[in-house]
Amino acid sequence: MDTNPLSVSDALALINQTLEYAYPLIVIEGEVASYKINQNKYVFFDIKDDQATLNCFMMLYQQRTPIEDGMKIRLVASPKLTQWGRFSLTVREIQPIGEGSLKRSLQLLLNKLDKEGLFDPKRKRSLPSMPKRIAVISSTQAAGYADFIKILNRRWGGVEVIVAHTRVQGAQASAQIERALNYLNERAELPEVIAIIRGGGSQDDLSTFNDEPLARAIASSRVPVITGIGHETDTTIADMVADVRATTPSDVAMIIVPDREQVLSGVHSQVSRIAQILARSVTGQKNDISASLSRSLERIENRIEQTRRHFDYQQSVLSQLNPRSALRRGYSLLYNEEGSLVRSVKTGDKIRIETDQQVIRAGVESVTKKQ
Amino acid sequence: MSQKNNNSLTQDLAELDELMAWFEQDDFELEQAIAKFETANKLADSIRQRLTELENKITVLKENFEDK
Repeated sequence: MDTNPLSVSDALALINQTLEYAYPLIVIEGEVASYKINQNKYVFFDIKDDQATLNCFMMLYQQRTPIEDGMKIRLVASPKLTQWGRFSLTVREIQPIGEGSLKRSLQLLLNKLDKEGLFDPKRKRSLPSMPKRIAVISSTQAAGYADFIKILNRRWGGVEVIVAHTRVQGAQASAQIERALNYLNERAELPEVIAIIRGGGSQDDLSTFNDEPLARAIASSRVPVITGIGHETDTTIADMVADVRATTPSDVAMIIVPDREQVLSGVHSQVSRIAQILARSVTGQKNDISASLSRSLERIENRIEQTRRHFDYQQSVLSQLNPRSALRRGYSLLYNEEGSLVRSVKTGDKIRIETDQQVIRAGVESVTKKQ
Repeated sequence: MSQKNNNSLTQDLAELDELMAWFEQDDFELEQAIAKFETANKLADSIRQRLTELENKITVLKENFEDK
């Protein structure tokens, strides 16, 4: 036996190297016990079964799902001997297993996020009605993605669609979707909306979307997020945090873009309505013109009548004033020799008498002053 | 029409909405209305054409979102 002694630290390093070589990652299922968080950073707990217990350690930010004592979980970890000589599992991933644990974990997360106000309807933003640039996070191989693209292309055009391909189920899926979401939020040209899409699946598959860091990434997204995950009856935490929850991937397409047929029919009705208003206005104005013309004619007729009546009246006044009409009534006009109307004469003057029918020349025999 | 092509589809639709609102007002001048009606018709044609022809441009990002 090689008797070259190792220092304690070297021995520890050697054991850890051997462990790492033999078991780089180990997957264990068991029940959680003595769960605690220290300094809001470090997580310590035990994983146990009926006969054995192992110490576990992990960083809080790596814990994507809440757990508590008594919960059944599956964990992925690296075995390690600590510098104090204690054997511990450095945990990379944890996942509740079994219906009871899944439900409990989900409830814990719901309570936590609800307390922080992440589901508050006031936080929800509305989506643009006709986006020009949209982003999609999905697996491009998923049926739900194909449905989404088909409906999108049928309904609308001219949209720049940026697709971030990620896993949508399995242990890595939540983290990938979270990274894609953060990446899209950091792009120079931001999309106007981000759609997270996944077709139907089992409750276990959809648990990808019941993930705390993903929920937080959705809540803090600069760009409004719409989710279309699973079927109508499925609701995940991602759906609850998103600005808009669509029931399915096809529903996402129907919400984010308008239907070109509907828009066209709207445009058609608008133009028809404008034509109708215009036609009505033309008829109205035509009638107005006729009405104003006939009003003018009426005015002119009235004026003519008035003038005629006035003229008749003047005629009658004039005819009464005419001395000739007095002659017709039996009066005579007397002129002197100079041809002026006689107002007074003296005996011997020559006068001219004009009656209605005759002109008489006569001499004045006598003049008597009228009393 | 060529001038209208510089507008986006949403701008054209908004312009059509404005024209509609103009026509909905109680009083307007007929001559102006006829000119506006012609504009509305041109806009509708342009929108119709674009909606029929426009296609979506789909780009799948090359970025890998796997854990590094």
